[in-house]
Amino acid sequence: MTLTIERIDAELCIGCGICVESCPTDVIRMDDKTKKAVIKYPEDCQLCGFCAIDCPQGAIYISPEKRTPLLTSWG
Amino acid sequence: MADKNNQEIVIETDVLVIGGGIAACFAAVKAREQGVDVTLVSKGVIGRSGMSPWAHGTMAVPPEKKDKIRELADQAHVGGEYLNNCTWTERVIRESYARFQDMLAWGQPFLKDEKGDYIKPMSGNQEQEGRLWALEDGPGSWAKSLRNQPVKMGVRILEKVMIVDLIKQDGAVVGAVGITRNSFDLYVIRAKATVMCAGSGGFKPVGGWPLGDLTSDGHVMAYRAGAEITGKEFEDFHNGMVRRQGGIWLSNILPMTNAEGDSVPGFGFGLSADIEAHEGRAPLYRGEDEVFSGVALGLSVHTAEGVWPVDEDCSTGVSGLYVAGDSCATMIVGAAYSMGGSGSCNASVTGARAGLAAAGYSRQKVLPSINWEEFSELKDSVIMPARRKGGFSPNWVTQLLKNAMMPYYILRIKHADRLQPTLAFVEFMRDHLCPRLFARDPHELRLVHETKNMIINAEMKMRASLFRTESRGTHYREDYPLRSDPDWLAWVMIRQVNGKMTVYKKPIPQEWRPDLTAPYEERYPAAV
Ligand SMILES: Cc1cc2nc3c(=O)[nH]c(=O)nc-3n(C[C@H](O)[C@H](O)[C@H](O)COP(=O)(O)OP(=O)(O)OC[C@H]3O[C@@H](n4cnc5c(N)ncnc54)[C@H](O)[C@@H]3O)c2cc1C
Repeated sequence: MTLTIERIDAELCIGCGICVESCPTDVIRMDDKTKKAVIKYPEDCQLCGFCAIDCPQGAIYISPEKRTPLLTSWG
Repeated sequence: MADKNNQEIVIETDVLVIGGGIAACFAAVKAREQGVDVTLVSKGVIGRSGMSPWAHGTMAVPPEKKDKIRELADQAHVGGEYLNNCTWTERVIRESYARFQDMLAWGQPFLKDEKGDYIKPMSGNQEQEGRLWALEDGPGSWAKSLRNQPVKMGVRILEKVMIVDLIKQDGAVVGAVGITRNSFDLYVIRAKATVMCAGSGGFKPVGGWPLGDLTSDGHVMAYRAGAEITGKEFEDFHNGMVRRQGGIWLSNILPMTNAEGDSVPGFGFGLSADIEAHEGRAPLYRGEDEVFSGVALGLSVHTAEGVWPVDEDCSTGVSGLYVAGDSCATMIVGAAYSMGGSGSCNASVTGARAGLAAAGYSRQKVLPSINWEEFSELKDSVIMPARRKGGFSPNWVTQLLKNAMMPYYILRIKHADRLQPTLAFVEFMRDHLCPRLFARDPHELRLVHETKNMIINAEMKMRASLFRTESRGTHYREDYPLRSDPDWLAWVMIRQVNGKMTVYKKPIPQEWRPDLTAPYEERYPAAV
C-alpha cells in the first residue's frame, strides 16, 4: 500500500493548476480532458502537504487515519 | 506517450544558478546585482522545493553582539567535535545579520512578539541573547516570497527542469543539460559560470525530512566534474513520529519511552532511539504518538556534507563551478548539529558569496563554442534510458536501495561487517542495474537520474563510513566506539580519480585541534 495524498475532489477543483506547480515530486498533473488535477504518480508522494496547503479550494484531502507502516521502520 | 525524438532548447547566459532554495536565490540576486545575465533553473518551483520551505528560523547575530560570535563559534567547535571549519563558522556567523537584512529588504515575513521585537531562539526556558530566531509565519510561507526578488531583478527562471549533468570542456564547466516533465526535450544551457545550489539529498524517505525531491544531484554532478566531496559519513538524526490522531511529523528534541514503558535516556534527536531498538526495546513512544526511527535518511548534517569549498568565494577547484547552500560543505557545525539556524544562514551567506564570485568570473570569459562531438556523448547518456525498450524501472531500483540503506543498522549503528557487504551490493546496483534503468515517460526519466545519483550517494556514504575507523559526532561505529584523536582529527575526502571513487584524509589545521592532554570527557562533553 502506498502512503500518499488521498484524493482531489473533482467537484471542488477549479483546474487552476496551483497544486501541480506546488508538488516537489511531480505527483499531480492536470487531466487533459477534464482540465482538473489528478493524482498521477501516487508512489512518489512524500506527504509534505504543500498541495493541500496551497489549494485555494480546499479540494485536496490527506487522510488523517492513514497510518501505513513505514517500509524500513522497526516494529 | 511523448515523442522520443527530443528537441534541444539552447539558452545562453553569463551565470547559471542550479537550484531553487535560499542558496540559489541569493546567488542569483547577488550575481544579477552585478549587471550580468543570470539564469536560475530549479527541479521544482522556487519556494516549493528542496528544504528551504521548511526552515523555521535563521541565525542572525547583530554586529553589536561581538561576544556572542566567539561563544557561538566555540559551541560549534566543541559540539561539532573539532571537525568544524573554524574560518567558515566565524564567517557565516559574522555575515548572518547582513543576509538577514537582505531577507527583510526582499519582504520576507518574520514573526515579531507583542513589543515588536523579532522572536529569539530559546534554550531551555531562556531566550538566547544576541541571536535572532526569525520564525516564518506558517509552513512554507517565507519561502513563497523567496521567488519575488529574483523575479524583480530580471533573473531568467526555468522551473520544473532537472539538471542532469554539467557540460565540461577543456577543464572548465561551461553550462549544463536538463530535462523537463512533459516531453523528452533537452535544455542545453551554455554559461560562462555555474553555481551549484541543488541542496543535499537522501533516499526518498517518507515521514521525517521532506526531501523526496532531493537526491544529492548537486553533490554527484560536482563530483563527476572533478570536485572534492566531504562529510558523507555523518548522519542526520532527526526522528519521525506517527501521530495517534493521524499524520506523520518530523520530531526534533523529545522525551521518549520504550516498549517496556521506561523512559529513554537522552533525547529523540540522537542515537538513543536506535540503541533502544538495537537492544530489542522498540517501538518507542512520545506520549501516545509512536516515534519511528530506524530510518537512515541518507542525509548528513546540514553544511557538513557536500562539495568542499576551496576558497572564500565558494569555488570548487573546477574552473567555472561554484557551490553554495546544502550543496557546499562549509562544515560550519562540524560532525553534529552544534549551532541552530545554521542551515538557512549558511545558504544565504554562501549563496551571496558564490553569486558575486561567479558574476566576476563570467565577466572575464567569453562563451566557448561547444565541442559537439563530446557533447553528443553527454546528451546520449541523459536521454538513453528513454530509448531503451526494457530494463529496470527506477521505482524498483529505488525500493531496493531503500531496503539496503535505510535500516538503522547500516548508517546509524554501523559496523564493518554490515557496511562492507552493503557496499558490494551498492556497487552491483551501480554497475549492473544503473546502466539498464529505463524510462517510460518524462516523469520516469527524472526518476532514473535521481536513482543513479542516490546510488552514487550511497556508495560515498558506505566508503566514507568504512574509512573513518572511529566514532565521532553523528558517525557511530560499533566496532570503533571511541573518538580517536591521534588518527582522526581529519576530514574524509572523496574524489573521482581515473573514473574511480577515491577516499582520503585531510587533516584539520594544527591550531584547531583540541588540547590533547585534557581528559577525554572534557574534550567530548557529549560522550558522557
Ligand atoms: C523540516 C526542516 C526544518 C529545518 N529547519 C531549519 C531551521 O529551523 N533553521 C535552519 O537554519 N535550517 C533549517 N533547515 C535546513 C534548511 O532548510 C536548509 O539547510 C536550507 O534550506 C538549504 O538551502 P539550499 O538552498 O541550499 O537547498 P534547498 O532548499 O534544499 O534547495 C535545493 C534546490 O535545488 C533544486 N534542485 C535539486 N536538484 C536539482 C537538479 N538536479 N536540477 C535543478 N534543480 C535542482 C531543488 O528543486 C531545490 O529548489 C530545515 C530543513 C528541514 C527540511
